[in-house]
Amino acid sequence: MKRILLACSSGMSTSLLVSKMKEIAKLRNLKVEIWAVGNEKVDTDMEKADVLFIGPQMRFLKKKLDKKADKLGIHIEVIDSIAYGRVDGEAVLNRALELIH
Amino acid sequence: MNKFMEFLENILLPIADKLNNNRYLTALRDGFMVSLPLIIFGSIFVVIANLPFLDKVLSEETYAVYQNALAPASESTLSIMGLFVIVGIAYKLTKYYDGEAVYGGVVALASFLILIPQTLEGVAGVIPASSLGAQGLFVGIFTAFISAELYHYFANKNFTIKMPPGVPEAVSRSFSALIPISLTLSIFLIIRIIFSFTHFETVQNFIFTVIQGPLTKLGSGLGATIFAILLIQIFWFFGLHGQVIINSVFDPIWFALNDQNLQAFQSGQELPNVITKQFVDTFLVGMGGSGMTLAVIILIFLIGRSRQTRELGRLGGPSGIFNVNEPIIFGLPIIMNPLIFIPWLLAPVIVTIITYFVMSIGLVPKPAGIIVPWTTPIGLSGFLATGNSWRGAVLQIFNLLVVMGVWWPFLKILDKSYYEKEKKQVV
Repeated sequence: MKRILLACSSGMSTSLLVSKMKEIAKLRNLKVEIWAVGNEKVDTDMEKADVLFIGPQMRFLKKKLDKKADKLGIHIEVIDSIAYGRVDGEAVLNRALELIH
Repeated sequence: MNKFMEFLENILLPIADKLNNNRYLTALRDGFMVSLPLIIFGSIFVVIANLPFLDKVLSEETYAVYQNALAPASESTLSIMGLFVIVGIAYKLTKYYDGEAVYGGVVALASFLILIPQTLEGVAGVIPASSLGAQGLFVGIFTAFISAELYHYFANKNFTIKMPPGVPEAVSRSFSALIPISLTLSIFLIIRIIFSFTHFETVQNFIFTVIQGPLTKLGSGLGATIFAILLIQIFWFFGLHGQVIINSVFDPIWFALNDQNLQAFQSGQELPNVITKQFVDTFLVGMGGSGMTLAVIILIFLIGRSRQTRELGRLGGPSGIFNVNEPIIFGLPIIMNPLIFIPWLLAPVIVTIITYFVMSIGLVPKPAGIIVPWTTPIGLSGFLATGNSWRGAVLQIFNLLVVMGVWWPFLKILDKSYYEKEKKQVV
């Protein structure tokens, strides 16, 4: 089971992306858990994740979370803003699988 | 142009980073977040207690009984939001330091109670509810910061009573909290006593007169509001979440102004402020998200010819109704798009001025202090925010048309350039 966490200010816009990613994961029969959280919950939820994606509008979070991600040994990345604008679940899911491997 | 953009981004990103990752501002924002469900609960009951036409259907007496029965819902939450914010801030700040967060929270609460008046019009043993709401908001925020810092400082000194092994953890934890808590509270008691000798009499009065009063007065003005709105728009233009960054500074002011209106609304007096939390959330952000992009989505459906914009309209439409507009911001794109820069800054300023003006002259009621969740769709949010007035909804629709007017020529140019590019690709 691969766990993919997405974070933005309140977990609203990232949850749009999450539902697209889930659709594609289901089509491909992938065993993944994908969820979105707001700013204030990233810190605790990232402990349960294999990879953390941050919405580009919150990219200033990365600096703060880098240290913890390092300690947990998980990948952390800001979502590409074009993929974000297109709500391109496939691109983000592919990138996630790439990072976990 | 690209160089200039890069230059600006290099300035803005560190500011966003500093403001968002500052531990006090983070605690402040999270503190408000903690109190939000309670505030919204209270708001719902203010709305229900003031449903339109009810005062015409029911007799005056029945209406009063009805309102009195519902009053505790908002009076125990929305009206005394300061209390919850304080606990939330201190909890989060203590947690940041890896301390016993729940103690951090209650110490801040006790510290705050030590500082506020405990008499009302000569009656002892009474805490004025107004001190727990907007009037006490700033002193509460400062108290939460300082008490959490002091508690953290004392807890880290080895003043704590260490218990021998074998004593249950909870027992030793309660003892280990005793000394830091006592020292922290003693300091606040001393502060209270010192202030009782000044002509301010209480710390709350001091903070209110010296800081909160001037700041809220400044924040209630049109100039400061336009300044804040422009900053939010500029941050968003660079793809940075403007609200998260700016609200952590402005929220205390906007909430304090909001609460003044709520108190006036509930006692049937004239509302003092146009600018409140809801002015910004409902009449600016609440029209499809920051930058009022619902107007852009509608325009796309009206005049959009290119595949790119029309697809974006379909993609961003449903979430746009609930004021989530990242697809539009990143997809149109609005970010870093020189053509869009003008309507992006201009439209919110015009809407701010219109809304301020019509509320000032009384054409549309001022926000009643009710907190409407920011995901509430346009029309309904305007109705609720103005204390159940259809005029609030009409104003939103009017503003939407204004935004569409401002955007029209710019979107047309953008759409045309996409359309022509697509045509070339087909050929």
